[in-house]
Amino acid sequence: MASAPGVLAPPAAAGLGRRRGALDRLGDHGLHALALAAALASVAIAAGLAFKVFSEANEAISTFGLGFLTTGDWDPVHNRFGAAQFIYGTAVSSLGALLIATPLSVAIALFLTELAPRGARTAVGTLVELLAGIPSVILGLWGILVLGPALQGTIEPALHAALGWLPVAGGLFGSDYSLVGLFPAIVVLTIMTVPIVSSLTREIFATVPAAAKEGALALGATRWEMIRTVVLPHSRAGIVAAVILGLGRAVGEAIAVTQVIGGTAGINASIFAPADTLASRIAGQYQGAVSDIQASSIAYLAAILLVLALAFNAAARVIVRSLEGRTEA
Amino acid sequence: MRSRKLAVAGAVGLLALGAAACGSSSRAGGSGSADAPLTGAGSTFVAPLMSKWQSGYASATGNTVTYGAIGSGGGIEQITNRTVDFGASDAPLTPDQLKACGACIQLPWSLGAVVPAYNLDGAPGHIKLTGSVLADIFLGKVTSWNDPAIAKLNPGVRLPATKITPVYRTDGSGDTYAFTDYLSHVSPEWKSQVGTSTQVKFPVGVGADGSDGVAGAISKTDGAVGYLTIAYVSSNGFDYALLENAAGNYPEASIKAIEAAAATASSVPPGGVSIVDPPPTAPAAWPDATFTYVIIPTDSDKAAALRKFVTYAITDGQSYAEGLGYGTLPKRVVADDRAALARLGG
Amino acid sequence: MDNPHQASSVDEARAVTVSALLAGEERLRRRRAASAAVDACAWAAALLAVGVLAAVVVSVAVKGAGAIDASFLTQSTANFGGGGIANALAGTAILVAVAALLAIPTGILVAIYTSELGGARPAVAIRYVLDILAGVPTIVVGIFVFGLIVVPQHRQSGFAGSVALAVVMLPLVARSAHEVLRLVPDSLREAGLALGASRWRTVVSVVVPAAFSGMVTGALLAVARAAGETAPLLFTTSIFPDFVQTDPAQALPNIPVTIFRYSESPDPVKHAQAWGAALVLMLFVLLVSVIARALSARGRRRLGSAR
Repeated sequence: MASAPGVLAPPAAAGLGRRRGALDRLGDHGLHALALAAALASVAIAAGLAFKVFSEANEAISTFGLGFLTTGDWDPVHNRFGAAQFIYGTAVSSLGALLIATPLSVAIALFLTELAPRGARTAVGTLVELLAGIPSVILGLWGILVLGPALQGTIEPALHAALGWLPVAGGLFGSDYSLVGLFPAIVVLTIMTVPIVSSLTREIFATVPAAAKEGALALGATRWEMIRTVVLPHSRAGIVAAVILGLGRAVGEAIAVTQVIGGTAGINASIFAPADTLASRIAGQYQGAVSDIQASSIAYLAAILLVLALAFNAAARVIVRSLEGRTEA
Repeated sequence: MRSRKLAVAGAVGLLALGAAACGSSSRAGGSGSADAPLTGAGSTFVAPLMSKWQSGYASATGNTVTYGAIGSGGGIEQITNRTVDFGASDAPLTPDQLKACGACIQLPWSLGAVVPAYNLDGAPGHIKLTGSVLADIFLGKVTSWNDPAIAKLNPGVRLPATKITPVYRTDGSGDTYAFTDYLSHVSPEWKSQVGTSTQVKFPVGVGADGSDGVAGAISKTDGAVGYLTIAYVSSNGFDYALLENAAGNYPEASIKAIEAAAATASSVPPGGVSIVDPPPTAPAAWPDATFTYVIIPTDSDKAAALRKFVTYAITDGQSYAEGLGYGTLPKRVVADDRAALARLGG
Repeated sequence: MDNPHQASSVDEARAVTVSALLAGEERLRRRRAASAAVDACAWAAALLAVGVLAAVVVSVAVKGAGAIDASFLTQSTANFGGGGIANALAGTAILVAVAALLAIPTGILVAIYTSELGGARPAVAIRYVLDILAGVPTIVVGIFVFGLIVVPQHRQSGFAGSVALAVVMLPLVARSAHEVLRLVPDSLREAGLALGASRWRTVVSVVVPAAFSGMVTGALLAVARAAGETAPLLFTTSIFPDFVQTDPAQALPNIPVTIFRYSESPDPVKHAQAWGAALVLMLFVLLVSVIARALSARGRRRLGSAR
């Protein structure tokens, strides 16, 4: 197996006793320079991106401070802006999507690692990965023209009838069915995150030592018991990482969400009503701000989005890296 | 160590190359030529007419005009940043925006009507509304189509009990400006609570992006009402509500009604003019009409091309207006525009 | 005298044994039923995923096929009535090609740095930065490139759009190239050095060729991703003409923004065109993914035999 970069480090002394041509030295330095330049370029891009967003947001940050995060107002006429309703929309749509996607993805990953016969394994695995490859604008197109009407006509009334009477949670399933809203956004985001979460979970499941699994089965466990006692405990951290990664993806999606969510400001109890998320408000209003403070507020939204997405990704990566270290040992 | 220096040198060289390329290509627009290609962005209100102008101008002169209908707010922002050659907006620039735009002038180049389009199963055509009832609908105080306030204005007509879904523009829109300008004139509550702007905080309803988005939302929702320019209404087969004007009449949003509203403004000052809610001295006027403006930087290096295109739009281009439901620019406005264009650039 | 008692205790013992067996069997049945239920759930989940994929793909295929004909592919977009997607197809091709030209060599160079040439600590730091870049929402990338290129240049351009796409592609290319390079066994590197090749010769002539098909796979997947991205293009190349434009210094028409616009339109003709464009885009993404997967399988076999 390959070790950390260092195999190609030049020997400490001229121990090989060869004469290195000038061309070789130039080539070495040239390649190193090029590669380093490319690496520095990526750092520059990342730094420039963060700098650009935060400097545009600066006016809004200094005007509104952190209160921006809890203000639910977005009024371009009176210059009152706040991110609360978009944070709410982002939270409900992403968390809702992951709530549905996680058990689905774990089940799919279990299917692909434990249950499926050989042929089905490759077929279904490939199909799930193809789901990941569908561009989000196409999912949004399908969401507007196919999913929205279907949800409004059949599923939303059914959910309202079945769950709308519950004391607190029932408020989520109101009677204001709409073609656009949080619910279609949740469905679309679920479709987007299932491939991510399931493929990562599948990789985690593949690292469970076969000996432990066979041992459990040999002791008379049923397959489910083996999964419950061997596979799942081993994979807990990995599944958490996969979910967090999926959250990061869901939080940042602008296009498909814009197409199906209705772009409406305001916090509504029902998930059937139109709403707005951080990313879709940015997509809708970044061009066309009435005043400098509004433009800066939209950049402030982008800064919040950036911090959220990066936090999720960082958390997931930390868990994955620590797991990689563990399994390689 | 040497490789590090090489890396920095290489990076600097690449950046310099890039900057040079960027700088040179921005000059490639053909400065000063009257035949330079033009790019503009902004109002969706004028987009159907602009489409005719683009093809008409191209066949008359061979020059191309590219236009992005991203909403008046977007047009104002793009021309302020000089990322396009001209902006198009139904909302006149505010003093702050005028200052930010620098040496910009705004010239009216068409006019039309913003109408409350609706989609209602089982409804009669051309439901009558007053401005204050319309404001109440968009304030969320009137919530169903058979509300007594609406029924009172439409005696003898059976109105379905469908819920009213107001539809509004989420992007920066001149239609929003014209609509909220009208509502602010006729409803003090609207004026204090919501106000007039290209983007406002609508208390209730569903948001959509662009005139197309609003039209799409209306067409898919029974009971929806939104504000659109007349050209989008006819092309989509929507019905629209008749509004009571100051003289107590309910005119249709015809060309005559639009031009009657425009006639109440004796001229169009540099800061634009509002022609909503015209006084009773214009008995046949449509209450929510608006001019739409082109925004041109006076220091543009495409001044000659801009002058040629805008002159086309306000003269030959006006022949397309009637077919799409736009008014024809009054003669004195055309004269004022030509005078302003003559002073453009070098 | 003891007979009845003996008989009852034997009976009791028999009864206890039988009931214990039955209970054990009962428990086993329940455990097996639980496992079977979980199996069924897993099958259901897999079928649901496949079903949803089928629903989306079939929608696109059926509705899109109806819209595609010769004129659809050869005419440009028209604002009101008719038209096709020829200019959008050409524009997307140019946008993706330029983005690939920018991102793929850079990404591979970054991977060479992190895998072969850099020290351990810088490599970890750079990989961390790449992870950060990969996690940036694409709409924010669009804002970044808008401010970086569109505003100073005073116009939208295909070049700006390509740069935005390249920023999205770069971490994908670099990450996958790094992983493939790490799979190349050290024995190959040592062999190269032992034969007297310098570091750069070893990397260029030994390590990279060994990882080549994996790199191509990563590049292809990044290209497929870039072709479908809309948000990076929204502020950089969204105001474009209704004819074929090939100059990257001007705004280029493109498929994703066209689909986005048409999807929000009320016009059924535009909807049909959106489905048609979506079908073309999906076929392209599918084709590239299949090629990438085939290459990756072949490459794995070759690397496996090299050990």
